[in-house]
Amino acid sequence: MVITVEILEATLEHLFLAYTALLIGALVSIPLILLSLYNAKLASLIMRFSNLVQAVPSFAVVAVVVPLIGIGFTPAVIAIMLRVLLPLIKNTYIGLFNVDPSLIESAKGIGLTEFQVIRYVRLPNAYPAIFAGIKFAAILANSIAVLTALIGGGGLGSMIFEGLTNFNTTKILAGTLPVIAIALFLDFSFSKIEHWLTPVYLQK
Amino acid sequence: MTIKKLFDRVDSVRLENITKKYGEQFAIKNLNLEIQGGELLILIGRSGSGKTTALRTINRLIEPDSGTVSINGADVREFDSVRLRRNIGYVIQNIGLLPHLRISENVGLLLKLEGWNEEEIRKRVRDLLTLVSLPPERFMDRYPHELSGGQQQRVGLARAMAMDPPLFLMDEPFGALDPLLRTQLQDEFFKIKKELGRTIVFITHDINEAFRLGDRIAIMNNAELIQVGTPEELIFSPVSDLVSEIVDSKRKYRHIDTLKVGDMMQPLAREDTLDPGMSAESALDLMVRKGLEFAFVMGKSEVSGRVCLNDVLKARTRGIELKEVTRALPLFSSDTTLIEALAKLKSEGESMGLVLEDNEPAGVLFSDRVLQNLI
Repeated sequence: MVITVEILEATLEHLFLAYTALLIGALVSIPLILLSLYNAKLASLIMRFSNLVQAVPSFAVVAVVVPLIGIGFTPAVIAIMLRVLLPLIKNTYIGLFNVDPSLIESAKGIGLTEFQVIRYVRLPNAYPAIFAGIKFAAILANSIAVLTALIGGGGLGSMIFEGLTNFNTTKILAGTLPVIAIALFLDFSFSKIEHWLTPVYLQK
Repeated sequence: MTIKKLFDRVDSVRLENITKKYGEQFAIKNLNLEIQGGELLILIGRSGSGKTTALRTINRLIEPDSGTVSINGADVREFDSVRLRRNIGYVIQNIGLLPHLRISENVGLLLKLEGWNEEEIRKRVRDLLTLVSLPPERFMDRYPHELSGGQQQRVGLARAMAMDPPLFLMDEPFGALDPLLRTQLQDEFFKIKKELGRTIVFITHDINEAFRLGDRIAIMNNAELIQVGTPEELIFSPVSDLVSEIVDSKRKYRHIDTLKVGDMMQPLAREDTLDPGMSAESALDLMVRKGLEFAFVMGKSEVSGRVCLNDVLKARTRGIELKEVTRALPLFSSDTTLIEALAKLKSEGESMGLVLEDNEPAGVLFSDRVLQNLI
């Protein structure tokens, strides 16, 4: 019974950590991308930065946060956020930029403002790509949130590491099974929502 | 809901000394062109000749490096570009319907942005779709990808008309359609054009389309305007080899369905006509004196026909009146096409016809003259 409560608490902590980071990542990246629509320099800067972060191994990103901001929940959130930026940014960027230029031209030509071009042309075109990015980022956040237990992020990762150091199989499973379940659930539910969000013209 | 309009009608669109460069390359070089209110002006030229650039300076999708574009005398830079564009219908070859919106939403998008309510928009969309021959109940709720190219192009046209603009800019709207469909849409467009009486600037690279639709045609080459004029002016007095090549003026007979009777008629000399009341004797006298083989018989206003020298001789020997030997002539208005006129002459076994302008005899069309001029 004690262990059930413990698992539940750790799972909630894990979810809270991972998705606070994801939410902040989304809140940071999407406005940045919208701004970079009108600023080629900013666009290339953002892309380079997120590509760089992606190239660094997850473990190193998590570790390097410690000397910079210390340990605990906030550094863990920041580490996860840095890792999920790339899928969010890259997909949003691709979605917003890869629009048939003649669509943009005709939309402007009939008298849409810049904002309306984003609202009615670019964003609808980008939804599927943005959503795929969020799906990937959510799964990534789930796995990095395990690693951040090492820097005091808590959650299921703590249980797993504890179990590993003590050769406690029950603890290891108590930590890993929820993580796996979360991953499977994410994949399944996001696929459902993805299908539901995909515009009619893209479904065959 | 009314539409806030920058201008109710277009009297003139003037492009003055327009130059636009991309790097060292001229897109347009010192272009001067005036589009008159109510006309359909064709811009024609090879790709890269600057026609699209010229068109886009009108709705400020392109700002020229120098020169001014004015509508009804007002510089377009004085208008807010979004307002300006909503007052100008814009149709392009790729149509640009938004794929995630239904047909009704595509056509009604601007109206929605202008704050019309749902009901007003639906009503307007219905009217517009009907105008472009798409039954609203069958098309309103469909998506663009479910429509054929021709149907999509009609929707594009309906969308351009949503705000009831007095001016249209059309960039090869029928360019991507197969020839049969293109002809059909041209015909329908021509009808709509006549009904609406709007000013239209229309780009094409198809000279036949230009002749079919255009009131005047502007020929562009290498960023410059080469010649602008009516189809007849271009065919009969091309300013350069390029123009004559484009309009194919060496083979004018190809334009037999474009050229009008008015272009080919001989002016009617009033003093060479005979009065119906004239005696055969004096008619003969007059014809012999003037060396006429035949003459037209007409009163103050009514036209009775023509007589040959033979007929007059016959009338004199038999002592009958001039009008009894007068043969009726086919009558044409000066904007009849040559092909129609020739067909009528053939079916009536005549070699000439009388051309009327405002119900007044203005000239004569000779079938052999037509042939001489065309070859």
